[in-house]
Amino acid sequence: MNNTLLSITIALLFGIGTFMILRKDIIKIVLGMTILSHSANLLIFSSGITGGKTVPIITEEIAQHTTGIIFTDDLVNGILAPIVPEGTEMLFVDPMVQALTLTAIVISLATTSFLLILSYRVYKEHNTTDVSKVRRLRG
Amino acid sequence: MYHNIPILLVAVPIFFAAITVFLRSRFKLQKALNTTVFAGLFIMSLALLLHVWENGIVVYEVGEWGKYGIILVADLLGSGMVVLSSFISMMAMIYGQDYMDKETALDTTFFPLFNIMVAGLNGIFLTGDLFNLFVFFEVLVMASCGLIVLTGRGDHTPMLYKIEAIFKYLVLNMFSIIVMLTAIASLYATVGTLNMADISVKLAQLSAAGTMPWHVYMIALMFIVVFGYKAAMFPLHFWLADVHPSAPAPIHAMLSGMVIKVGIYGILRIHYLIFPDVLFLTRPIILILSLVTIGVGAASAIGQYDLKRMLAYSSVSQIGYVLLGVGMGSVYTTTAALMYLVNHAMAKSMLFLATGETLYHAGTKDIRKMGGFIRTSPFLATIFLMGSMSIAGLPPMGGFIAKFVVFDSGLEAGFYAPVAIALLFAIFTLFYLFRTWMTIFWGELKEPENESDFIARSPTPQIKVALALLAVAVIFFGVYPEPLFALASEITAQLFDPQPYIDAVLGGQVR
Repeated sequence: MNNTLLSITIALLFGIGTFMILRKDIIKIVLGMTILSHSANLLIFSSGITGGKTVPIITEEIAQHTTGIIFTDDLVNGILAPIVPEGTEMLFVDPMVQALTLTAIVISLATTSFLLILSYRVYKEHNTTDVSKVRRLRG
Repeated sequence: MYHNIPILLVAVPIFFAAITVFLRSRFKLQKALNTTVFAGLFIMSLALLLHVWENGIVVYEVGEWGKYGIILVADLLGSGMVVLSSFISMMAMIYGQDYMDKETALDTTFFPLFNIMVAGLNGIFLTGDLFNLFVFFEVLVMASCGLIVLTGRGDHTPMLYKIEAIFKYLVLNMFSIIVMLTAIASLYATVGTLNMADISVKLAQLSAAGTMPWHVYMIALMFIVVFGYKAAMFPLHFWLADVHPSAPAPIHAMLSGMVIKVGIYGILRIHYLIFPDVLFLTRPIILILSLVTIGVGAASAIGQYDLKRMLAYSSVSQIGYVLLGVGMGSVYTTTAALMYLVNHAMAKSMLFLATGETLYHAGTKDIRKMGGFIRTSPFLATIFLMGSMSIAGLPPMGGFIAKFVVFDSGLEAGFYAPVAIALLFAIFTLFYLFRTWMTIFWGELKEPENESDFIARSPTPQIKVALALLAVAVIFFGVYPEPLFALASEITAQLFDPQPYIDAVLGGQVR
């Protein structure tokens, strides 16, 4: 149920981002890039198990009771780690997607700040934020 | 001992990037240190390649997490690419130490960023983890953005243009990276692992069971977009002619020599290892787009009077030949594509390094204002002629062998029309490169009263050494291509049968 909502949100964000990067204003392009990269981050996040019962820290006690769904692939029954069939109980949330999302967020932060500095320089040099007027290199 | 080389090839440049930041003011030490480091990296990569060739694939597990963590895999393709990139980056580094401006480049960010760029390249070629590939792509892109703005002595591009070029480069790169992230997320949601060998095994099992989800095809096509962008394949080639000529010569040589080959490497690695079932769909796409790439690049290069821009369009055209070999898709054509890749990387980086010196020598970047430089600089004329001959495909240079095997393999595989089109545009290449060479170096000196100025602006001994070593390599692979051919055949055999790669990666035990 929540997955549907999440999917629609991601799709909407992709749409908004694509619309924004097709504008002519440099700042709108940078913001569109940010929205796009965050929708990609949400997509990564949604690809793992988020409905698990506990954090993925396996202590001795838990290890005795677990079936270890996350770390075992059961290809014969169609179980591939993040996708678990209906009715299978999930013990842990997927730790991988959180690590991936964090990495992607940090990288997009660095790229976005670099892009903002660049757009400031472009504005200073050309006195405009309209990309159709920033065309010295002629494509 | 050999076991640790893959991680050293990534860690050593990053370590020295930090060291060189602290040694900013010690210029002489910087020069000696960086030359030593890059020579060391080249020797290490060569040792790794020889070891891998004799004893099989080397796997390094970072943190010993087995297939769940990040792994570095040195198979023949990866380590071969690392050798190539180490050689070219060593030459670019030796050349750049005399070429770049001292105050604005060498004393500030040139050495650290160059080290990080090489670390990114080595990481891309050695990693066995899909998400790690994305991280190294970003490392490479950010470092090269910082390097493009630096200035050198033969670099007549105003800062205004460089800023605009980087803005385009970064926005488009970010977009391609987002496409890649989306593809990685979809793949992770499908098979639940990021290890390339593991993904390959699971997709093969799904395919054998007949339950391959349809969106795997979409993911494969998204990767074509990403790597096609990196390699400047036809609909995604437009950024290259703006970005590459804005860079100073050593960086231009690295970007056009090595960085666009990352796209070819990605297609070979991802599509042959992970998506062998989708190759029936991707091969024709690559084949058709490669022909258009060859045509568009050659046709655009003919109309250019800006030397660097013309050579950048020539890069677009030449990368089309590599993609042609990949797209035709038999064992022999893929071998030919790999040989073309190596020879083009060497010859093109030599040509770009020579171009940087030529522009400094001429004091302008307009071909029409140059002429008769064979009298003021016979050395540059020789190097430029050798580079042009290799790119145009004339014996005894490496480019001749490369073009010959591409056409021969294409005919053997029965692709007559594509080979005919490629041959037609090879004649275009011959035309625009030799027209340029004759305009620049033959004829009367355009400004005879400035002859002493021209002679004063001649290459330094260090620059001559770098150019001469590249020239030796270009001729060596022209007259004695057997080792390269044997290596390329072996690499292709590994590509078409990825089982040894999978066994080497998944054979280890998880603690």
